[in-house]
Amino acid sequence: MTTTIIWTIAIITLLGVLLAVVLYLVAEKFKVEEDPRIDEVEKVMPGANCGGCGFAGCRAFAQSCVEAMNLDNNFCPVGGNDTMKKVAEVLGLEVKEKAPMVAVVRCNGTCANRPKTNEYAGYQSCKVKAALYSGDTGCFYGCLGCGDCVSACQFGALSMDPETGLPVVDEEKCTACGACVKACPKRIIELRNKGPKNRRVFVSCVNMEKGAVARKACKSACIGCGKCEKACPFGAVKVEHNVAYIDFEKCKLCRKCVVECPTGAIHDVNFPSPAVKPAPKPAAGPAQDGAATVKPGPAVSKAVDGAAAKPAASAVTEKKVEPEKKSEE
Amino acid sequence: MKTFSIGGVHPDDKKISAGCKIEALPIPKTVYISMAQHLGGPAKAIVAPGDKVKTGQVIGEPTGFISAYVHSSVTGTVKTVGLRKDLAGIPVVHVEIETEPDQWADGIDTSDTLVTEIPQDRQFIIDRIKNNGVVGLGGATFPTHVKLCPPPDKKAECLILNGAECEPYLTSDYRIMLEKTRQIVVGAALMKKVLGVQRAVIGIEENKPEAVSAMSAAVEELGKVSRDYSGIEVMTLKKKYPQGGEKQLIDAVMRRQVKSMGLPIDVGAVVQNVATSLAVYDAVQKNMPLISNTMTVTGDCLPADRQKNYLFRIGFPLSYIAEYNGGVPEKAVKIVSGGPMMGKAISNFDAATLKGSSSILYLTAEQTERKPESNCIRCGKCAEACPMGLEPFLLNKLARNGMSDELEDNAVQDCIECGCCLYSCPANIPLLDVIRIAKGEVIRAMRARTAPKK
Amino acid sequence: MNKILVSPSPHIHAKTSTPVLMRDVVIALLPSVIVSVLYYGLSALLLLAVSVVSCLLAEYLITRFMFKAPSTVGDWSSSVTGVLLFLNLPPSCPWWVAVIGAVFAIGVVKMTFGGLGQNLFNPAIAARVFLLVSFPTFMTNWAAPKGFIGGVDAVSGATPLGIVKEGLAQGMTLPEIYAQHDFSYLQTLFINIGGSAGEISAIAILMGFIYLLARKVIRPYITLSILATVFVFSGIFWLINPDQYTDPLFNLLTGGVLLGAVFMATDYVTSPMSDKGGIIFGVGIGLLTILIRYFGSYPEGMSFAILIMNSVVPLINKFCKQKKYGR
Repeated sequence: MTTTIIWTIAIITLLGVLLAVVLYLVAEKFKVEEDPRIDEVEKVMPGANCGGCGFAGCRAFAQSCVEAMNLDNNFCPVGGNDTMKKVAEVLGLEVKEKAPMVAVVRCNGTCANRPKTNEYAGYQSCKVKAALYSGDTGCFYGCLGCGDCVSACQFGALSMDPETGLPVVDEEKCTACGACVKACPKRIIELRNKGPKNRRVFVSCVNMEKGAVARKACKSACIGCGKCEKACPFGAVKVEHNVAYIDFEKCKLCRKCVVECPTGAIHDVNFPSPAVKPAPKPAAGPAQDGAATVKPGPAVSKAVDGAAAKPAASAVTEKKVEPEKKSEE
Repeated sequence: MKTFSIGGVHPDDKKISAGCKIEALPIPKTVYISMAQHLGGPAKAIVAPGDKVKTGQVIGEPTGFISAYVHSSVTGTVKTVGLRKDLAGIPVVHVEIETEPDQWADGIDTSDTLVTEIPQDRQFIIDRIKNNGVVGLGGATFPTHVKLCPPPDKKAECLILNGAECEPYLTSDYRIMLEKTRQIVVGAALMKKVLGVQRAVIGIEENKPEAVSAMSAAVEELGKVSRDYSGIEVMTLKKKYPQGGEKQLIDAVMRRQVKSMGLPIDVGAVVQNVATSLAVYDAVQKNMPLISNTMTVTGDCLPADRQKNYLFRIGFPLSYIAEYNGGVPEKAVKIVSGGPMMGKAISNFDAATLKGSSSILYLTAEQTERKPESNCIRCGKCAEACPMGLEPFLLNKLARNGMSDELEDNAVQDCIECGCCLYSCPANIPLLDVIRIAKGEVIRAMRARTAPKK
Repeated sequence: MNKILVSPSPHIHAKTSTPVLMRDVVIALLPSVIVSVLYYGLSALLLLAVSVVSCLLAEYLITRFMFKAPSTVGDWSSSVTGVLLFLNLPPSCPWWVAVIGAVFAIGVVKMTFGGLGQNLFNPAIAARVFLLVSFPTFMTNWAAPKGFIGGVDAVSGATPLGIVKEGLAQGMTLPEIYAQHDFSYLQTLFINIGGSAGEISAIAILMGFIYLLARKVIRPYITLSILATVFVFSGIFWLINPDQYTDPLFNLLTGGVLLGAVFMATDYVTSPMSDKGGIIFGVGIGLLTILIRYFGSYPEGMSFAILIMNSVVPLINKFCKQKKYGR
């Protein structure tokens, strides 16, 4: 009995030692030499593996940082400047600070603004829907509302608003990784400058249709009228293909365009008070509240639709001159 | 009786409008002629607002190798040339023409006399087909002259005419096989001549015995006229969807299978629809451009006296045809252009008819509403139904997880989008919706991979 | 016209659905259920009710309160499990055994994997094996028939296979055992002597099989390959030594081979997708069943064979793909 036990122990020990040696030899033979700094850089990465930096994951990004001469082309949008500083520390490199970005949904085709013309009954995916047809509203360019961006977001920063049918970005959670931008087949979501105190101004529409057609499809569409372009003292607004675009690098958040927009397509967010015209005149009075809030007041749409559009427009050009001068002074 | 070897389903036939003779539609006040009526590059409009056009005059020129001419289907004045929404709401260039009474362009034979003499000059036939804008009318609207000119290293052996019309409801091919029987046979002989093949098979499903006998009689009758008509035969096929799929038809008729990503010509086959054959006849023998086609207006919710087969001209708004027919039935919730299995749901009813329009099909909520998706029970009915031998349940899962390499390994690129999987899924999983997108992505990736090498 | 629906093609659907398919399976099981209730009487009816109700209840409670999702009771799949479980129990077994079996089948075998379509093993078979191992006395002690028809007194006894196994263990030859116990094929074909509730009538099971085929619920390959393998494989042994090994027909008609081959092995979820895979699966079940019967310690073998083959289904699915067009 005792001998059996001794034998068993002996054989198993021997086997263990033998296998350990084999393991060691194999590990030695197939050892991959890697820069130890890759591990160090990876440690300071957020570890979400979201691919927002353009690499396959955090490790691939770390590897590229280690191999790169400088960090100009590498930026982790999720970790932001803090992470990049840490990476620079590890590698002994310099890093330029980048302004934080945030995903912005450039469509304001809420259920109220953009009436449905048919009902989509296929698989709830924007990709499928976009491949099939123009969508269940009159607008070919707007949000399809199936939430591909929501499922693409790894950080839970996007959610569908059941009332408007549009995605909502949670600024706190958004890391500007850009996954939603890629997921959106209509290219509605854009990464924009987060702005000082998170304040920013953007055109919440990408409809390239002519004004009348765009308006017919959606009450708050950009009609490409160009008032904002004229109103902007900094040349930040450009109207191309019947749609305005605000260059966030040039925008100084004066919000003159917000006031001018006849359809409320230009949005300003996180400002303490609504945008107000410097010298309101009776003709365009109702535009004050219409500009800042999501839904333009009925008076605004009437003014644009009907014959009143012309006098309103001339009044606007009149007023526009004053603030421009002021800002120059 | 022959049929294809893998998969297939048996949807209810519902050829309600089979007994209705083809009626010509009157011309509306305005027509909108799309410049994208074919596969490949859209045609370039060569008319400007204010121009007077005659019926059959060229108004759009091809823009590339795979493209086709577009002709005016009416006489009148061009009002606008610009973007207009097609039936899916996508903006496409259309030429808007205000119509006047017909005045045919020069050189078009509008008489009814049957011309049976086959031109011996091959190039003459091809030019006529090309210049008259003939495209495949079986659904894909691929330019016919391109298909009839295979690359020199490949040899066509057999011309297959597709008279299967395997989609439920549709009867336009059936009607032309009854009413334009001999013209179709002449068209087949013309294409046989172009391809230089000895054999042409007209495949017709067993549920159309009248068409089989009419076509057989016409083949026999014309066979006595000239040697050009020898080697044409009518083949009765078993009723099974998708018999009319190009690859399935080749399998059924020739017992050969086209390789993955290959073309029918690889196995020596050229497949053309019977309606295309009719268009070829018109183009070559009558110099008549492709400006009209037959369409079925049908649906279970449509009264029996309004089930119609219409001869329409391209550019008629769909809503005009529906109005002429008596309006959209009360119970219809979905309007489909094409058959219920592969047709496109119409979201913009003001869209204009195209060369390839084959039907306005009204479906009721009960017929078409999708039930909520439930768990896959792994019954394998989708794999059983798939005529390409794929495994839709697997492709669905792979696609939803974005596994593109595995999708390619499992041949998602071979999918013909026939709809058999979704049709037969007891759990109502939107298999084809998901697979179609994945297929597009995989094919794009495959192209991107091979492109730089060239 | 109120609304226009737009969706990708196809725009029509075959009139099949999961509940319809599952209901068809229940209908196919009815002949066997009716025969067993007629034969074993009220106690069998009670057992059926307990088994079905506890399966449904288990599914309802788990989906509603653990998954916090809409209940899936309406898809009939747990009803199928309930009826199959009943058919796998000896009619004499106490009602609480059925309850335990049902909770195990639904709660452990089916729901832990994610519900319908996700489970690796057939719930009813797994529950039967679980009960067989846990409560061998109740599960192997078959009451000889006493019901509305066939007025034999209730006698406890073993199944034919059990008797054979025991007899062989005592060193008897098969002809001796047969002579002692008076078996006849006719009996097993119409009304079996002892066994679980679903085993009494081969004819009733075959009626269900024909119904399933006619309704295109299942394809015949799995069932036929099991039966053929059992027949051929046991036939070889029987020809070698008829004294030691039971004959093929006897093997086909006893011990739940028919019930398993028709209703349990053909379960969508736990069987291979392709016909080719189905045949491999069926041959495997047939071979394992006979091996267990001839050389194992359990007399019956079918449920173990199915369970073992269930576990290799993912592998079979991976290697047995149907032929693709043009490849």
